[in-house]
Amino acid sequence: MSPTELSFVIFVKLVMLSIVPYVLAGQGTMLGGRTGLFNVAQEGIMLVGASVGFLGGYLTGNIWIGIALAIAVGGLAGLGLAYFTTSLKMNQFVIGLAIFFFCVGLASLLYKVVIGVTLVPPLIPTLKEVPVPGLSRIPILGEIFFAQNWLVYFTILLSAALYWFLYRTRLGLELRSVGENPKAADSLGVNTTRMRYVTAIIGGMLMALAGAYLPMVYTGTYTADMVKGRGWLAIALTFFGGWSPHLIFFGALFFAGIEVLAFRVQVGGGGIPYQFLLMLPYLATLLVMMFAFRRARVPAFLGQNYDREKRTLA
Amino acid sequence: MTETTVAEMRGMCKVFDGHPALDHVHFQLNAGEIHGLLGGNGAGKTTLMNILYGLYRADAGEIILRGQKVDIRSPKDAIRQDIGMVHQHFLQIESFTVAENVVLGTPIANPLRLDLKAAAMQIAALGEKFGLGIDPTARIETLSMGARQRVEILKALYRGAQILILDEPTTNLTPQEVEALFGIVQAMVRAGMSVVFITHKLREVLAVCDRITVLRDGKNVLTLRRDEASEEAFVRAMVGEELDVKHSIIFAGRTTIGTPRMPDQAPVLQVEGVSVSEAGVPVVKNCSFSVQAGEIFGIAGVAGNGQLPLAEAVMGIRPATQGRVLVFGQDVTALGTAGLLARGVAYVPEDRLRDGFLPGANVAQNLILGSHRDAPYARNGFLDWKTIFRVSRDLIAQYRIRTAGPTETGGNLSGGNIQRVLIARAFARPARLLVAHNPTRGLDIPSTEFVYSKLLERRARGEATLLISEDLDELLLLSDRIGVIYKGEMVGVLERDAFDRQALGRMMSGVRI
Amino acid sequence: MSHLRMFERPAQPPFAIGLIRKILPYLLAIIASFAAAGIFIVAMGFDVLHAYATILGTSFRTPNGFVQTLLKFVPLLLQALAFTVPLAAGKFNIGGEGQMLVGAIGATAVGIGLKDLPAPVLLPLVLLMGVGFGAFWGLIPGWLLYRYQVNEILSTVLLNFVSFQLLNFIATEVWADSAAGHPTTVPIAAAGQLPMLIHNPPLNSGIILAVLVAAVIYLFTSRTVGGYELIATGANPRAAQVFGIDGRRLSLLALVLGGALAGLSGSIEVAGNQHRLIEGLQSNYLLLGIIIGLIAKGNNLAVPFVAFFIAVLEVGASAMQRTLMIPGEMVFIVEALVLLFVLLSDVIRRR
Repeated sequence: MSPTELSFVIFVKLVMLSIVPYVLAGQGTMLGGRTGLFNVAQEGIMLVGASVGFLGGYLTGNIWIGIALAIAVGGLAGLGLAYFTTSLKMNQFVIGLAIFFFCVGLASLLYKVVIGVTLVPPLIPTLKEVPVPGLSRIPILGEIFFAQNWLVYFTILLSAALYWFLYRTRLGLELRSVGENPKAADSLGVNTTRMRYVTAIIGGMLMALAGAYLPMVYTGTYTADMVKGRGWLAIALTFFGGWSPHLIFFGALFFAGIEVLAFRVQVGGGGIPYQFLLMLPYLATLLVMMFAFRRARVPAFLGQNYDREKRTLA
Repeated sequence: MTETTVAEMRGMCKVFDGHPALDHVHFQLNAGEIHGLLGGNGAGKTTLMNILYGLYRADAGEIILRGQKVDIRSPKDAIRQDIGMVHQHFLQIESFTVAENVVLGTPIANPLRLDLKAAAMQIAALGEKFGLGIDPTARIETLSMGARQRVEILKALYRGAQILILDEPTTNLTPQEVEALFGIVQAMVRAGMSVVFITHKLREVLAVCDRITVLRDGKNVLTLRRDEASEEAFVRAMVGEELDVKHSIIFAGRTTIGTPRMPDQAPVLQVEGVSVSEAGVPVVKNCSFSVQAGEIFGIAGVAGNGQLPLAEAVMGIRPATQGRVLVFGQDVTALGTAGLLARGVAYVPEDRLRDGFLPGANVAQNLILGSHRDAPYARNGFLDWKTIFRVSRDLIAQYRIRTAGPTETGGNLSGGNIQRVLIARAFARPARLLVAHNPTRGLDIPSTEFVYSKLLERRARGEATLLISEDLDELLLLSDRIGVIYKGEMVGVLERDAFDRQALGRMMSGVRI
Repeated sequence: MSHLRMFERPAQPPFAIGLIRKILPYLLAIIASFAAAGIFIVAMGFDVLHAYATILGTSFRTPNGFVQTLLKFVPLLLQALAFTVPLAAGKFNIGGEGQMLVGAIGATAVGIGLKDLPAPVLLPLVLLMGVGFGAFWGLIPGWLLYRYQVNEILSTVLLNFVSFQLLNFIATEVWADSAAGHPTTVPIAAAGQLPMLIHNPPLNSGIILAVLVAAVIYLFTSRTVGGYELIATGANPRAAQVFGIDGRRLSLLALVLGGALAGLSGSIEVAGNQHRLIEGLQSNYLLLGIIIGLIAKGNNLAVPFVAFFIAVLEVGASAMQRTLMIPGEMVFIVEALVLLFVLLSDVIRRR
């Protein structure tokens, strides 16, 4: 491979590596949203996922235990969201912000309790590349797609599976109906409450997994500012993707691409103050939102609670 | 034929927000009958049937189906008991196809597959059997209101419903479509089904029902065979003592609105060639009409034929893409809503919850909406709360709004009381032009009567009213002229002495005169 | 997201009547959350009574503790208002942090760039520049919402991250104080600094400004036509529009006003407290501002009281961390629980 080819392959490979948190958090947001439950606590759930995942990995020496713990905590956050909004009919945004707040506090608290303040940050092992036998030998594509870590594979498969599930199965049809018109779904015997609970919990799990990925893929360390807005960007991504799993996956390429690009230009120098490169992902997102938002197709009951006996929908 | 009871409800009680909606109501449905459930708005008809369908849980009472006491906790239970319900506001997912809407929620052999072909064939067969004529692959949002209602009926039939509840099924239909619906219902009964027909229109129950139960204020009044009682008995049962039937507007003939219209009166509102587009699609096309002083001009049409965009274009809420609107001869097309309100135009929007009410604000704040910039409520940009509360208390008393007081949160009010707030707001200040869209929707009979009398008082005072209504009876009763709107176009205008239900019905389905 | 139903808005003026009924749920919520958080603290093996005595007592035991609390109170109050003013119109401003930092940048720029101006000119200029810059930072999401219907939650929050980099750039490249070990600018001119109310312990006059602003905001939202229109828009934007209220324009203005309030907190921080721009200036003010606004249920009369309570907790938490080695983040949990219980008390009352 020529040097330009090589650097291109590395770039795309890094992009594939970096889409994971965006896609996972985006799909988690989408799942809840498709039943009308709009989670806005991504940033917090990701941070607590990162913290718990890191600490679990650090204490047991096995990052998969850390991942499992993070998923459990994320599921609890989703459960909390579902309970307060679906069962107690409280405002989804208010509860989402409260959970965001709670998770940010919890993440730092747990880290301080377990690790305390150290001069040298403790390390955990990072996720290893697991080349797919045979496929990883394909020139260029093999290196990009088939020599990645487990979670990259999981992310790709999950997105495909969600697409199939939502549009090609009866259960998927029922799930979508809850976000479009919960009363209609309810009147036909679809259990809207259970649907919202399940998607909120799975959504929270995916967000926490997205967070746990962060300390495990790049540096092996945890810092309180490591999510860097990816949770919020994931919401933007979900809107761009029109709340569809396949479009969320492809949209994530843009987010990850900007992130990798900003990082690489920063390393390569080039005269622009690095601070302005680091603004790039946020500015680019704002720019795209200007054009994408008006056209975005959104579940009709997104952000609204459903109360069967409430005669006035307000 | 011996009569067997298929469903019975005993001692049903239900309380909403402290207000009893049902008070020990009894209801009994025979096999193979069409049973009319009659009463004004707020009488408890829909609440009772929502309990049978599992949407509401009763506070007390028991349900007996085919001789067995049953517990219906959710629509799922009701469906399992072969009960189907067609709701007044269609419960459909507009972005889904007919087939997707129909199969939704039915027991699934394999939840991880989506095979709609077999379902589509079954739906088509059912449609043929009962003369419903629906394409299973069509998207709901592309269908007319009549077709959407037939989809609702299909949903129940597909689930094998033996007991079918129809909640105000004629609301969105033309007179001709109503007749077709009655035909479908009779075919279903011949096929062995039992039907509950909820309505507030006496004429309709008399036309098709075998037996009639009348509810009033959440209580049983009577249950009689159709041929056992006179029309007047049913009217008395619906209305009770509160209303003097002899002098009422609702139950009077239609010659009572007062002196005939004077065609040479100056126009108060002129709509000239107005067109409105929604996302690039024209929804109002080249509409022209005028409303004179001392006139009630009615606009008839099946819901969703451009009434809302037309009303909003007149009120300056959305821009007209073409044409102009004049009030007292002045072009107000670009004036904006605030300007119109300030010039003494009042508005009662169609959808009270979406367009007319602030659920999180209190009753007083709701009563001043739209007048909040003007004296006596505001001075120099500051609100005068003392005056606002005084006026609010007056309005609450005068319009009989059931509320704890001006500071009660609006969202606690029932639908009918919210409508009274909207009416009180529109009538609180003298308005030379009133644009009222379905002003009596959700009101009980005495309140409807009250609104009618207010509208006729306006007429007598020489004030102009544009009355847009989907209730043809209301328009026939009150209007000097009726214009019919179909797919955004004015199909024609009839003078009062040329009013004819059948002719209007044909116009409502697009036939020009 | 149009039909947001926020909180049950309390009835308008008759205020004195239900005061106890209004405060009681708050007290119960505080007690419940302290009890719940106490379980955590015990589980971690700390002395819970001592911890709570520190959290609640630090502000009132020494003059220094009290002044510390007041210094925290000012930015918290303004941040909370930056959240509640747009909230009245149903808009979530999650960008108070960025608006504060950009405001602080504006204040610093004037304080350093025009250092030769006399105090009567420079000080108002420093303050106004902060307000103006903050307002501009609120104008961006406001305009994106007005013109392109971009969700304000996302645009405000993303601009925070932009402002972090902007501040870092200013503090390391433009007016860097090379002697500091942390991105920091050189100090602003003494003429641009807020006068002191007390010198020992040092308390600047920013608090007077903040309380005054809070009073004006309260009057605006409860007594004026503009405030009514803001609340109507928040309660039901469609209905407000149908009755002649331009909710889109109001939302834009509300976000600009929110930005201006946050910007003011930035300029007070620079002109009164730090006298320079320091990275990390915002500490956790955004999150705390939001939680104050939510605990107060958007009621601008309650905001100052809640803000003071949270300031007490925050000052107590640092003391607890110093003296008892209990992580200060513990108080985050307490605050989140208070919010939760306050919201729950609404649910209970509704039943």
